[in-house]
Amino acid sequence: MLDVGQGISAPYCAKILAHMGAEVIKVEPPEGDEARRAGPFPGEVPNPETSGLFLALNVNKYGVTLDLASSGGAKAFKNLAANADIVIENPPPDSLEAHRLGYESLRSINPGLIFTSITPFGNRGPYKDYKATDLVLHHMSGHAQGLLGAVDDPDSNPPIRAGGHQAELVGGMAAATATLMALYRKRMTGNGSRIDISSFEAMVNQHISGLASSAYGRPAPPRDLKKVQEAASAGNVSAIGGILPCKDGYVAVSPREDVQWERWLGVLGNPEWATDDRYTTRDARQKNSPSLWKLLSEWSSNYSKTEIARWGQEQRIPCFAVNTVLDLLNDEHLAQREFFVELNHPVAGTLKYPGAAYRFSNTQLPLAARPAPLLGEHNRSILENLD
Amino acid sequence: MNDLPLNGIRVLDLSWIIAGPTATRFLAMMGAEVIKVGSARRPDPSTGSPPFRAYNQSKSYCSLNISDPKGLELVKQLLVISDVVIENFAVGVIERLGLSYEVVSAQRPDIIMLSSSGTGHTGPDKDYVAYGSLLQHYTGWNSISGNPQGEPVPGGLWADPWVGMELAMVTAAALSSRALNGQGQYVDFSMAEALSAGIPGAILDYQMNGRVPELMGNRDELYAPHGVYHCVGNDRWVAIAVTNDDEWQSLCGVIQRPDLAEDTRFAGSDGRMKHRDELDASISQWTIRFDDYEAMRLLQTAGVPSGPSLDISRVFNESQLREGGYLKTIQMRDGESRDLPGLPWRFDGGQEPILTEAPVLGQHNEYVYQELLGLTEQEATRLVEEQVIY
Repeated sequence: MLDVGQGISAPYCAKILAHMGAEVIKVEPPEGDEARRAGPFPGEVPNPETSGLFLALNVNKYGVTLDLASSGGAKAFKNLAANADIVIENPPPDSLEAHRLGYESLRSINPGLIFTSITPFGNRGPYKDYKATDLVLHHMSGHAQGLLGAVDDPDSNPPIRAGGHQAELVGGMAAATATLMALYRKRMTGNGSRIDISSFEAMVNQHISGLASSAYGRPAPPRDLKKVQEAASAGNVSAIGGILPCKDGYVAVSPREDVQWERWLGVLGNPEWATDDRYTTRDARQKNSPSLWKLLSEWSSNYSKTEIARWGQEQRIPCFAVNTVLDLLNDEHLAQREFFVELNHPVAGTLKYPGAAYRFSNTQLPLAARPAPLLGEHNRSILENLD
Repeated sequence: MNDLPLNGIRVLDLSWIIAGPTATRFLAMMGAEVIKVGSARRPDPSTGSPPFRAYNQSKSYCSLNISDPKGLELVKQLLVISDVVIENFAVGVIERLGLSYEVVSAQRPDIIMLSSSGTGHTGPDKDYVAYGSLLQHYTGWNSISGNPQGEPVPGGLWADPWVGMELAMVTAAALSSRALNGQGQYVDFSMAEALSAGIPGAILDYQMNGRVPELMGNRDELYAPHGVYHCVGNDRWVAIAVTNDDEWQSLCGVIQRPDLAEDTRFAGSDGRMKHRDELDASISQWTIRFDDYEAMRLLQTAGVPSGPSLDISRVFNESQLREGGYLKTIQMRDGESRDLPGLPWRFDGGQEPILTEAPVLGQHNEYVYQELLGLTEQEATRLVEEQVIY
């Protein structure tokens, strides 16, 4: 697989395939992937070899640099593409088509090629030439609307995006899904594919439940706290659940079913207010969730997040500590599952990287094969053996 | 017959709620025959709601009580003729039902079995009871979002749809592997790990700098101006992200502020980051005079990344989704036609994904039990009476 992508979406797709065992060659321009210039950096000192984002998105890949605008670079790229199963790109800034290395010209030398392109809006529709970033995609897809929950005054408290470039990751995951389906077909029939991914559609597709509700004429959920509470007292609210303050952070809990609620009251020590008519049925608890949440918060503030999570889970109530990244790195469950993968990089040193969410019974995934490549690290071993 | 990538693949779908059905929706639309198995004994919680009709597009649906020994026998017969089976019950349930991977692979040695659960199927916390919305807190996913000094964000609809797509991806990988070596797989999938794997920058930042990420709302670590700006109308905003000097110059042109364009303090991202409060105020003076879509049109025409902040009703009405072909009009059983979601990709020149209305429980019983398994009508009727086909 040739990864011509820069930034996040296409490199993330290629990393997923590298985790699955594909031999991925990352093709960077001479100045390097733009992700090398994004942080986080150790000590906040920029260095193209120590960008945390770049290191995480490019593990398990080989790396070469090519100037695709030069005839030598284009020729070397064609030689690589002639023997590749998959090419992935995410223009802008660089598009293979602009260098006359687009799907049609590569297909003429490699008819079975799978060519995957990720762009903000795909090659279709009125916005096909529009630009979008992670921020814009969060807002246009409706995902920013729900993140803060209900707020007192929506007009002075705008929607926000989620952190961690999720819109770009979703574009990359969609690309990996479609590309692997195309690979299955290639192995069955020999046919290649040209795949066009719209990151906007990938974000929107994360909300098919809301789209279906819209198709049935349901209004969008309000952001205004007053309207949410009115809807709740009218019986139009979803199950109770949310976060409660603790001595050392927060705990997330949702004792929504009657049986869960009964057991949750046991955890609380069966407080007197529990027999109040406002809280005795599921319907009543949903209608009165604001006052109920206040009562629960008064209780939870006396304990630690891990205590409450343990008590809840012992009673089979969905209840979790709200974890920070430090909590994750110290988590015993993740450690036993070997979720984090330790890799030693010649410049960035030894770091723990998130691995994969899946284990295959009959295939050991090569999650720790090699750290992200240095800029041009494999120019000699790969490019000099071409022709 | 179709020439979609998963043509010829049969998927036995024992999953329910959101993540599992979302995964098999991808597979069904891409050409696999997905047979959803459910029972009136424990209905899929979203049954009858509009979301159910999205999660279960393009599938067949048979009813079967698999906790009955005769029901278990029928599932085993279906496994013999299936390539993939997927389940997302609480850990241990599938084994108690008598359908461990050992049993499943004895019916069909090269089967691919996906088991998805909240925290995975090994480790000390494997029995944790989970909902997707809570897993977002547990996994650190929500911890990197929010306004500065704000509380943890309570919302975000992410875990289930994200896991749904990742499960479809893993299925395609396992099928590709089987195509080479003939081997099946058991896949242990953890929803929690899928979310934690989605915040690699924060995980590395902690190790490099000993800090948890600073919450920055709509702002960015690298770029400015970067945010949402008030437009005409209550709670109406346009998102603008300037990522280089060209876009900055274009923005200044659109908002008719040549003074900002020429000001050397704002040349380069670092300078704009330093003065972002001042720049945000200047941009808001312009945006407040425009409708959010009009602001986008003017900005995009000049090459500035931008777009309105939409709620789901307005997303549903987006011309891009209809003219781009993501939403498609389907004639439904109730006589209405509705626009339903498709897939976020196109295979150029390839066949369109299969998009049919979600089925109701038992709609495909005759096909599954008589046509596929060869039961007589009398046998099937008796199993209905015995509440096995139920």
